[in-house]
Amino acid sequence: MSLREDLRGLWLLVLWDLNRMQRRTLFVVMRVTWFAIQVSIFGLALSAMVRFRAVAGVNLDYYHFYLFGVYTSMLFSISVSRAYDIAEEFEEGTIEYLLSLPITRRALALGRALGGGLAAFLFTLPMYAFIIYLLGDYDPAAIATSLAAALAFSVGVVGFVLSVVLSLKSSDTTDIVFGLLDAVLIRLSTVFYPAVVLSKIAPYYYSALVNPISHFADFLRTVFFFEEFKAIAVASPDLMASYILGFAVGLSTLAILVVEKAVEGGGWK
Amino acid sequence: MSIYGELRSVALIVYRDLSRFWKYRFWLAGQIGMNLADILIYALVFNNMVNTQLIPDYFKFFTTGVIAIAAFASAFSIGREVGIEIRREYTHYLLGLPFSRTSLVAGRILGGMLRGVVYQSSFIVLAALLVGMPSPYGWLLVLFTSLALSASMSGLAIAISSSTKDFNLQATFRALTYYVFFFFSNVFYPKQVLEMRFPKPVAEAVGYTPVSLAADIYRWAFGYNTAVDVAQRVWLLSLWTGAMLLAAALIYLWNLTRK
Repeated sequence: MSLREDLRGLWLLVLWDLNRMQRRTLFVVMRVTWFAIQVSIFGLALSAMVRFRAVAGVNLDYYHFYLFGVYTSMLFSISVSRAYDIAEEFEEGTIEYLLSLPITRRALALGRALGGGLAAFLFTLPMYAFIIYLLGDYDPAAIATSLAAALAFSVGVVGFVLSVVLSLKSSDTTDIVFGLLDAVLIRLSTVFYPAVVLSKIAPYYYSALVNPISHFADFLRTVFFFEEFKAIAVASPDLMASYILGFAVGLSTLAILVVEKAVEGGGWK
Repeated sequence: MSIYGELRSVALIVYRDLSRFWKYRFWLAGQIGMNLADILIYALVFNNMVNTQLIPDYFKFFTTGVIAIAAFASAFSIGREVGIEIRREYTHYLLGLPFSRTSLVAGRILGGMLRGVVYQSSFIVLAALLVGMPSPYGWLLVLFTSLALSASMSGLAIAISSSTKDFNLQATFRALTYYVFFFFSNVFYPKQVLEMRFPKPVAEAVGYTPVSLAADIYRWAFGYNTAVDVAQRVWLLSLWTGAMLLAAALIYLWNLTRK
């Protein structure tokens, strides 16, 4: 199949994912609602009881720290929730329809990873806008860089999700595994606390250092408030950006390999 | 059907739901993992960041609160099953069985309640070890609170999960309810913290949600905070439980029988 046909297939698959997301208006409204509750109740209450200077050694605004963290956790959770859609599609036999289309397996995997990632990214844009409004920082370069990082991050997460869902081949198991992964990965990251606080417990600290969620959250923080957060970030901004890019490319490639090997055979029946 | 027959039907449904509980041991393991992650990662790390003048020991404070979260999470397992039954139209089979609809609804809610209590028991033991051993009266209060909270959460989960056939929407409703109940509670932060950031009536109202009431009773029973009017909390929790059970039963019945 020619590159042109591959690209057309890719485009159609991206549109497929976007259309599916478009039909979930109620879903979006509910997610945005609980995001607003989380930011305005949970975030404000947490920042009232945190003494950041005593632990991080620097004077930080915990609410700023928290806002980037909670956006990261929301983007991660929504990207992960693509797992439920994908699992449901497999259970309903939609995959047989997709496999019958004149689209290569490679384009199918990449299209779903890109489409799912883009859908999750667009889904979280209202939340992102809300965060920027609360921060009051409208630096165009920071906004453009953070949005590009967010898109790469969500594509990587959806690539990972696609690989795992195809390996598990059960919507129930998918529900359980991703619920647990979501909970553990978010807690073992710098979403709620900086790595320096985690350093008192070595396994937690090293888990946070390799956790892509930590790199993405800290990257956002340093892009917007470099001076405030540079001392507590898990790595330098360049290193974190490279990590996020590698994460997206690596996991999309993994999705291609898994789809090429695992999607055939009707194992979902 | 006689009262004996109704009770026997309810007991059969409860037995079925309880025995099916073990079928989802991987799901249970996942839930336990999530709650343990809350205690052993979130609370332990946050303990180093919290102003000790406001919360002397955040780890103990949160460990007692997690028991309330555990009731919610486990009771929601029954909601998950009801959701699957609705999606796969298995409910037609359930309605065709020789049980009255009242027995079916009561059995499902009671089954969910017992699942909640069974699941919670490991966290209650953990709290007793990490926070403090309750007195005999304290144990009675823990038992009552667990039964009441699990029953109301089980009913709520059944009502929510049976309201839509969409798997994704069921998961979203579930999560939204979780967030509303736990962010508007004192599981994560005490009332004085809320009073620092929000108007007093809001902080007061959050203290009277069912999860807050249950967390207060647990904290009293485990000896973390004895400066609460525990009798008042018990009455209010009973009222909440009665109202939520009635609403949940009516909603589930309606969802079961609508075309």
